[in-house]
Amino acid sequence: MKTDLDRLLVDYFQPGVPTADLARRVLKEAAKAGREVEDLVERLAIAATPRGISLIRPGRQARVETAAGRHLVDRAREELHEYLLGQRAFFSVPVDLSAAPDFQAKVLRAAGAIPFGQARPYAWVAKRIGHPRAVRAVGTALGKNPVPLIVPCHRVLKSDGGVGGYIFGTSMKQRLLGLERVTPVLEGCTSTHIICRVGCPQLRRAKPANRVVFASVEDARSVGYRPCRVCRPSQAA
Amino acid sequence: MDRERGLMRRVAKGDQAAFTELVEGYGSKLLAVARRLLGTRADAEDAVQRALLQCYQSAASYEPRWAVSTWLYRILTNICVDELRRRTVRHAYVSAPPAEAPSPFDAPGDAGRRIDVARALARVPREARVLLALHYVNGLGNAELARIRGISINTVKSQLARGKTILRAALAEGDHT
Repeated sequence: MKTDLDRLLVDYFQPGVPTADLARRVLKEAAKAGREVEDLVERLAIAATPRGISLIRPGRQARVETAAGRHLVDRAREELHEYLLGQRAFFSVPVDLSAAPDFQAKVLRAAGAIPFGQARPYAWVAKRIGHPRAVRAVGTALGKNPVPLIVPCHRVLKSDGGVGGYIFGTSMKQRLLGLERVTPVLEGCTSTHIICRVGCPQLRRAKPANRVVFASVEDARSVGYRPCRVCRPSQAA
Repeated sequence: MDRERGLMRRVAKGDQAAFTELVEGYGSKLLAVARRLLGTRADAEDAVQRALLQCYQSAASYEPRWAVSTWLYRILTNICVDELRRRTVRHAYVSAPPAEAPSPFDAPGDAGRRIDVARALARVPREARVLLALHYVNGLGNAELARIRGISINTVKSQLARGKTILRAALAEGDHT
């Protein structure tokens, strides 16, 4: 039997009127979907020390001397590929910033604290590292980021909303921000009822049809899911 | 139901007329769910467009054991829920209130009452809010809601009951202030 609340909600949730050419706009969008972002990983040269990824630059891959380095480069390439396909919202491969000067290392760590899918102004980074007036120096340090993509300098923008520079070009910077805007961060598997960060190896086993997105770990817990012990999704922003 | 599955088979083969028919059948319902979850018409249209694009591009992975509506609503709610997550993170940074109250000018009927409902709904936990929207837009039953959100039927029932209790209390509180 319908109550007053039911009637109120049925009225409130009345179907809306979509834009007349909705299907046409979607089909147009589908036709122009390019592969520039996915293909970026094939144009990258990656270097590693035994401690982590030390350099990512456009160019041809050079031979990596040590077995540990080769393993890290392969892992980075795989994670970057997943990230660029919209199937990864975090990197687990370590980076080695030991060659970076102290100031730059601080700037890069601050940029690394910007959550996936978000952006901050250069001034925010300057303030965070305790040098609020060093905005220009922050820009220079980010411009020389040895490990772009993994250390997300593309999430730092100009204070006036401008995109700012980027090693792979401003167009790629915009595309990466757009990619992160449509990549979910937390997904649960409907058969195991475990919630993971997108990109977790545990989640990779779940078929796409068995995945649901959650807004927070608390939301997932409220409907019977538990956090993954491998990727620890509570740490995700 | 079989007609819709047939439509999906045609969409998977790139049949644009079949896709247009699907959009005509579901566009308004998808928009209503997104509109009430995300607050603004612009955000809702963006979410629906992304959901339909995903539907078109991944139509080949559609499994016929699912009702087409279940599949479409799963894709849309995944997108809306992630947008709600992004807002939580963004607002923690810019400390602005969520833009969830609707404008009284964009909907027919009792605009004042609609704003009351919107405010009351904002107090309902997210997961229950998603289930309420899906249930009241399309009259979806508990079993389909459970499949869409990947939860048990008992959890659907308890979430809906909890959501309605909070709504009732919030609306009653509004009536007395």
